[in-house]
Amino acid sequence: MVDNIITSIFGDLTPLAAMIFLLVGALIMPGLQMFVKKHTVTWVVALVFVILAFITDAILLTSEVEMSYLGVKLNTYTTLMSMLFLIVVFLVVLVSNVSTEVTKSHAGAYYSLLFGATLGMLFVASSSSLLTIFVGVELTSISSYALVALKRKDGRASEAAVKYAIIGGMSTALTLYGISMIYGLTGTLAINELALYVAANEFTWMFGIGIICMIAGYGFKIAAVPFHMWAPDVYEGAATPVSMFLATGSKKMGLAVFIQVFLAMFILSATVGDIFGLTVQYIFAVIAAITMTVGNVVAIAQSNIKRMLAYSSIAQAGYILIILAVMTPQAEAAGIFHMFTHVFMKGGAFLIVGGLICAGIGEKISDYRGLAKRAPFLAAAMMLFLFSLAGIPPLAGFTSKFFLFASAVGTPGEADGTWIWLAFVAILNSAISLYYYARVVKAMYIEKGESTEKIAIPRIFTIAIVICLVFVVVLGVYPDLLYGFCEDATAFLF
Amino acid sequence: MSMILSSLILVPLIGAIIALVMGGAREAYAKYVAIGFSAITLIIAALLMFGMFGDFEDLSEGFVWIETSTFIMNYALSVDGLSILMVFLTALLCLLVNVFSLDEHRENNNYFYALIMAMEVGLMGVYMAADYFLFYIMWEVTLIPMYFMISWYGGPRRHYSAIKFFIYTHVASLVMLIGIFAMGYEAAGSTGIVDFSFEAIKNGIASVAVDTQALIFALLFFGFMVKMPSVPFHTWLPDAHTEAPTEGSVLLAGVMLKMGSYGIIRICIEALPDAAEYWQWVIIAIALISIIYGAYGCIAQTDLKKMVAFSSISHMGMVMLGIGCLSDAGITFAVFQMFAHGLITAMLFMVCGMTGHKVGTREIPLLGGLAGKMPIYATFMMIAFMASLGLPGLVGFWGEFPVIMAFYEFILENDVVWMLLFCMLSLMLTAGYYLWAMQRTLFGPETTKIDLNKAHDVGHFEFAVLLVLAILVALFGVWPDAALQFLDPYVDALMGVI
Repeated sequence: MVDNIITSIFGDLTPLAAMIFLLVGALIMPGLQMFVKKHTVTWVVALVFVILAFITDAILLTSEVEMSYLGVKLNTYTTLMSMLFLIVVFLVVLVSNVSTEVTKSHAGAYYSLLFGATLGMLFVASSSSLLTIFVGVELTSISSYALVALKRKDGRASEAAVKYAIIGGMSTALTLYGISMIYGLTGTLAINELALYVAANEFTWMFGIGIICMIAGYGFKIAAVPFHMWAPDVYEGAATPVSMFLATGSKKMGLAVFIQVFLAMFILSATVGDIFGLTVQYIFAVIAAITMTVGNVVAIAQSNIKRMLAYSSIAQAGYILIILAVMTPQAEAAGIFHMFTHVFMKGGAFLIVGGLICAGIGEKISDYRGLAKRAPFLAAAMMLFLFSLAGIPPLAGFTSKFFLFASAVGTPGEADGTWIWLAFVAILNSAISLYYYARVVKAMYIEKGESTEKIAIPRIFTIAIVICLVFVVVLGVYPDLLYGFCEDATAFLF
Repeated sequence: MSMILSSLILVPLIGAIIALVMGGAREAYAKYVAIGFSAITLIIAALLMFGMFGDFEDLSEGFVWIETSTFIMNYALSVDGLSILMVFLTALLCLLVNVFSLDEHRENNNYFYALIMAMEVGLMGVYMAADYFLFYIMWEVTLIPMYFMISWYGGPRRHYSAIKFFIYTHVASLVMLIGIFAMGYEAAGSTGIVDFSFEAIKNGIASVAVDTQALIFALLFFGFMVKMPSVPFHTWLPDAHTEAPTEGSVLLAGVMLKMGSYGIIRICIEALPDAAEYWQWVIIAIALISIIYGAYGCIAQTDLKKMVAFSSISHMGMVMLGIGCLSDAGITFAVFQMFAHGLITAMLFMVCGMTGHKVGTREIPLLGGLAGKMPIYATFMMIAFMASLGLPGLVGFWGEFPVIMAFYEFILENDVVWMLLFCMLSLMLTAGYYLWAMQRTLFGPETTKIDLNKAHDVGHFEFAVLLVLAILVALFGVWPDAALQFLDPYVDALMGVI
């Protein structure tokens, strides 16, 4: 039995297995760098830890182990989410050693922080109490502030880090305030008990305000409009691998929080059509609609590609928030699936940007002129990633959006009219997004660049890009590969 | 499992990939690859049409592609009397376009041919799909190559036109997608599983309330209507055609617009017949407005290609009118008009596009007396114009007049004889703008506004292609039954539903 390998090694600690690898990694990295002094060695060790953690999760996922240790759960959902985070951190670590934006002398601290942040994400994914979730989110946030600031010679990075830390601190305070109100009212922090409370009791203003504070606080983490202002500045200022980590990893953690906290808390009352549940659904529907619209519309005006991708990430978070308005298991499976496809397509796009920065190409969209002649593979890959983000078939972004938007239209047997307007908004947004993605494609393929010199990016970047590309195509044509797991995962939330 | 239908998608796909990778020194040979693969496709399509593989209706193939707890999506292909004509037309035009472009030399030739072949993949997929998911994917697949075709190889305002084309048709198809979702969910009924195959949805949707059907019909119809295009969502078409290279225009008008009308018949009418009756007057109104507005638009144009683009709007309105009658004759000849318009419009765009290359301008006021200078060109132009205005003996006649007769029947039934005025107006306008354009371009004294010394007549390959088209236009004109025989069983079965 394969599952016995992991369970026999870790015993009761199996739910923490992947986290243990990350924790050990985070602790030894700084020391290792100090003694060995070769950043490549640190890099290899970091990579090994990530791969070990990933393999652990993969084994646990396929063997469908289900257990719990001190409130830390292990089931299909938690393993799936932690695999998502580990994929992100794997891609980030993979390119960090060759990226010119990462300060090599700080490699130990860099990987340590990266692991710390990922550890927080994994912790969030397997928690079922407001307090543990809060702790996990804080771990990730605080590590991220430092990660952004680590690109020390760049003024923009310092500005971004300060902005990020201040706004992050404020959102933390808000969240905690909300949690304390809810705890005061209900006397519990366990989410399943809160769900029962919501279903059984009438709406009270105190509870409502607590929820609003939490939505606002966590809304900052996923950069939902109107809490999104920090995101473009931070993504622009940070080193590109870090931006990628924030856009694909941190944001997914925020969305995981939304799923585990709000979806789990309100789905009971939403299914019975309780007025409280319905109100929360409408709040999320409005946030989703505004988030995607603002993200997409503002993205049109951007001339810096990292900022453009930041706004497009905001829009993508808006799409995923649909599931909190619809609140069906089907929607949730689609949402998780979209998170995965988003990792590959957005991650791939960031990797290309990062690779090109290493080759001396700027971040402006105008710098990408004539890229098709200079780097045919990168231009083609970028085009596929962007088209996937826009939802052009048969790429992964199309398939996941198909599932996601379909879930807003209704459920089998009934095209429920309640959220069809949200599907319309989402679909119009897809069309808008195509405009700014096509602009980059146009710059790469149609416009003539000043130089026609060939561009070579570090080979590791190419490998990472190919990995993303393969998944973007495969998940588009054959979603069954992953979608089944996503559907299984939903069973563990309700 | 037989692979004949899949091969119609796979062969062009392989051709597209090979052409795509033939960069650099091998670039010059990409055209032969494209011609070879599109010729094979045409041969398969023709053999299929003439029943060499047995009855083509028995050849459906497919397997479950994606299966989740709520969705079943199939890779399912099938062909019937309606689609076989479109499949044949697609294969024919793609080959002819490839041959037509042989004389032309452009930068990155291999991309050009890869785009044509990729478009063929999408078109074949749309016309053969028997599953909504596949249908939608293929629908979108046609979009991307056309976008690049316009924006890479088009005229001076190509970027504007390409993006306009893209956004119009993409938004429309997204609205259609919502319609597909809604239809799928409604059709699923109590089974709890949405099977996206045409068959399953058609069976499931029949028991749904007509009001709901009408709403779904509206969503789908909007998607198709923009593609056709019908007034008031037609404005992308003249821009796209003016800027697209000749080859792109031929495929766009010849087979891509037909995707819209094909979708209306295949999905709106076939699956939602009750809703079609609900919206019948709206369809008729949109059709009439398109016919008249398109024809009026033609008169105002000075660019030959733009004029032909407006005439396409008018003629596709005729198709819509036939469909709107919801009668045996109406639908039969609407489909025939699709086929006829595909042949004629290919000729029209080739001839008009050629004007730009051979003479240097497509502006009608600058032209004149070309008949003396370029007799072969002038002959083909006359044939194309005459066919398009519906001269008896050419294929256009069988597209237009029976549709008007079917409409006349509809008028008598509903006691609105005054509506016949619209038809007469459209016939007059059509004859008017074509004859006027011909007179100004071909006849009269030779123009002095431009230098005609460099003007040269059609090349060998262009001549061959135009000859083939002219022969087909004449052949189907005197023997329309060659195409109608495929349609009769299909429309009879459809009438059973309506």
